[in-house]
Amino acid sequence: MIEIRGLSKAYRGQDGSQVQALADVDLTVRDNEFLTVLGPSGCGKTTMLKMIAGLIPWDEGSIAIDGVEVDGPGPERAMVFQNFALLPWATVLDNVAFGLEMRGVGKAERHERARELVTTVGLAGFETKRPGELSGGMQQRVGLARALAVQPKVLLMDEPFGAVDEQTRRLLQEELLAIWEHNRVTVVFITHSMEEAVLLGDRVVLMSARPGQISEIVDVPLERPRSSDVGGLERSSEYSEITAHLWERLREMHAEHGRVGGIAS
Amino acid sequence: MTATVPARTPERTSESPVPPRRRDRRPAWVRALDSTTAYQLLGFALFAVAWQLYGTYWGGLLVPTFTETVLAVGDLVVDPEFWSAFAVSNQALVLGFLAAVVLGVPLGLLLGRFPVAERLSNVYLNILLVTPMAAIIPLLVMSVGFGLASRVILVTIFAIVMVVVNVRSGVRQVDPALLQMARSFGASERQTWMRVLIPGALPSIMTGIRLGLGRAVTGMVIVELLMVSVALGGLILNYRSRFDGAHLYATIVLILIEALVLIGAARWLESRLAPWAVNQRKNG
Amino acid sequence: MSAALAPSPSLRTRVERLSGAQASALSLAIGAVLWEIVGRVAQVPFFPPLSEVLVRLGDMVVTGQIVGNLAESLGNLVIGFGVSLTIGLVLGTAMGRYRRVNAMFGIYVYALLTAPSLVFAPIFFSILGSGRGSIVGVVVMYSTFIMIITTASAVENVSPGLVEMGRSYGAGEWRLLTRVILPAAAPSIFTGIRLGVGRAVTGMINGEMFIAVVGLGRIVTQAGKRFDGAGVLAILLVIIVVAVAAVALTQLVDRRITSWVPQTSKDAA
Repeated sequence: MIEIRGLSKAYRGQDGSQVQALADVDLTVRDNEFLTVLGPSGCGKTTMLKMIAGLIPWDEGSIAIDGVEVDGPGPERAMVFQNFALLPWATVLDNVAFGLEMRGVGKAERHERARELVTTVGLAGFETKRPGELSGGMQQRVGLARALAVQPKVLLMDEPFGAVDEQTRRLLQEELLAIWEHNRVTVVFITHSMEEAVLLGDRVVLMSARPGQISEIVDVPLERPRSSDVGGLERSSEYSEITAHLWERLREMHAEHGRVGGIAS
Repeated sequence: MTATVPARTPERTSESPVPPRRRDRRPAWVRALDSTTAYQLLGFALFAVAWQLYGTYWGGLLVPTFTETVLAVGDLVVDPEFWSAFAVSNQALVLGFLAAVVLGVPLGLLLGRFPVAERLSNVYLNILLVTPMAAIIPLLVMSVGFGLASRVILVTIFAIVMVVVNVRSGVRQVDPALLQMARSFGASERQTWMRVLIPGALPSIMTGIRLGLGRAVTGMVIVELLMVSVALGGLILNYRSRFDGAHLYATIVLILIEALVLIGAARWLESRLAPWAVNQRKNG
Repeated sequence: MSAALAPSPSLRTRVERLSGAQASALSLAIGAVLWEIVGRVAQVPFFPPLSEVLVRLGDMVVTGQIVGNLAESLGNLVIGFGVSLTIGLVLGTAMGRYRRVNAMFGIYVYALLTAPSLVFAPIFFSILGSGRGSIVGVVVMYSTFIMIITTASAVENVSPGLVEMGRSYGAGEWRLLTRVILPAAAPSIFTGIRLGVGRAVTGMINGEMFIAVVGLGRIVTQAGKRFDGAGVLAILLVIIVVAVAAVALTQLVDRRITSWVPQTSKDAA
């Protein structure tokens, strides 16, 4: 269980003014829950995720995982990055094994585990390729395999499918669901796509910007497993109702900030 | 965790293949004449003919013709005097260049990693990059004399700036997302250096070494021509005072060949050691 | 609450917060003090303290040694750089635009760029004799190739979309070059010009040291032969000022001409 209490963070902007990235955020992520976080750009969703990962400090409040205060990165958490963050000089296998290597796992063992995961994410046969030789979708499979390889209890995903095209994104969503249905770790998944948030999440956390706050938490009562019939799910009335509601809220937020147009990331 | 999801075939790698070039329908001999090699040869031939004419009709005492120079090159490559001068010159080059790499790479790594050191060193590196370093040769001669030490130090000073500047920018350009990623997997400072920073900076380190080598050759030539008249530089000045234009030019040609061979070798090594960076390697 | 408001920031954060110019000034001041101290402690003829060098510089300015030779040097620099720039722009544009020109000159220009330029000094000496022409020749050899290559690659890399746009509005080759291609390539061309200016200053000094008839290069050599360490360092200071000022001047011109380029992308370059 991840408990976030009174989390606040202010940056100093370029003009010297204070920007409130997060203001007094309270959130509880249940065990084995798939939580998606949705919000316009600048709402602090990525900031919050990186704080859970222990990568950036905050000013006030606390984050605890199973009762233990977060103080830097830890072995029970693994992160999947927005722009993949793969080592361009290392092979697919070495990239997947990276987290294990950092923990001092021997070469033979980590390569064996890495090979399993490369197969899990559908990249068997690509073990010796370098990231530059892979498409964006394949690169993010490597990023996912790298995170899964360290057997985390919490998987932190920062707009992982934001940098791939629409069809690939769809495939990756289905595969992520399939993998998660076999291995229900706790997932915190950041996205700026309403459809993605509803499709994947048990609950959707809607955040608003300036200051970054949680504006609403929406339950998604869609049946699981969802991986086998994503298309059917999207035609269901529940799905349309939830997305319509989210869109309504997002539009209000944009109106408040006097902006027109879609949700840019 | 041990998921048994059936593996899927991944989507295709190449998203937009390069469109095939239009077929060249001209006859083979026309294509051969219009090829890059043909133009390169043409360029060289024009240059050689122009040189030959100039040398023959307007050359004067010190300007040999192209053919005289070619013959003199032939002379020199079998001349033991040339090779002993060559060895003496290269002694300074090798020692000075090695010193520049051994000192410059760690220095560049440190400057890249620690912002305070980087900010304070910035103005000096910029000055060193644009200032003609040859002007310190008189000071070198005053302090360590006309010997090997003087030449080695100058070669080192010439080369080290390039090494430091490139290594530093290489470390700074390592994608911050990779550093964050390493930290999220609990990498120690040592692991971060070994697995992220140094491999990430390797292309720039190799570029620095290649450019440093070029500067080292320059330093070697400059110190011998300007101050310490020994070895190859001494040979050039010697031929000049004997009005032996052909051998003077031939020595210069051989120095140029050495420089190009060394830099070509460094370039090759660079592409071997950091193949993933081949398309990043520009502005060399 | 945040680190920015903390009462006493560490030395480290203070240095990090300085602007570029402030950091340079601080760094130069530290360097000057160190120079003075080391010079006084070491007591060697080749490394006199800064104060002594400045006094010597004052003397040389008063006796007219600096001004006359500086003017000579700048003359060499301007003529040499002017020739270089003309060659660089014309040949570079031709190489960037026409495949055959590029094929003919490409590898030779690259070879000459990487070669040690001063070896050509004896060649200029043999052709032009011991005079200003040879020094100008050396300046050209130092600075022109980098400008040819950057101009060529800048012209080659102009977005094909822009060129097609120009064509679609009926621009001929000349108008295409002057109204579309060269302006679009200008920011990258200026990168080459800046490098070329730096190299031209180096060529000027090295040429003058080799063909010691005029300029700062000649008097620095002479000071060395007299074992006048303070004199060498005084002239070196002048040389540094010339080099830095020449590059700064180029940047100023660059900023005026390519003011449409967003500043951030320039900083990144």
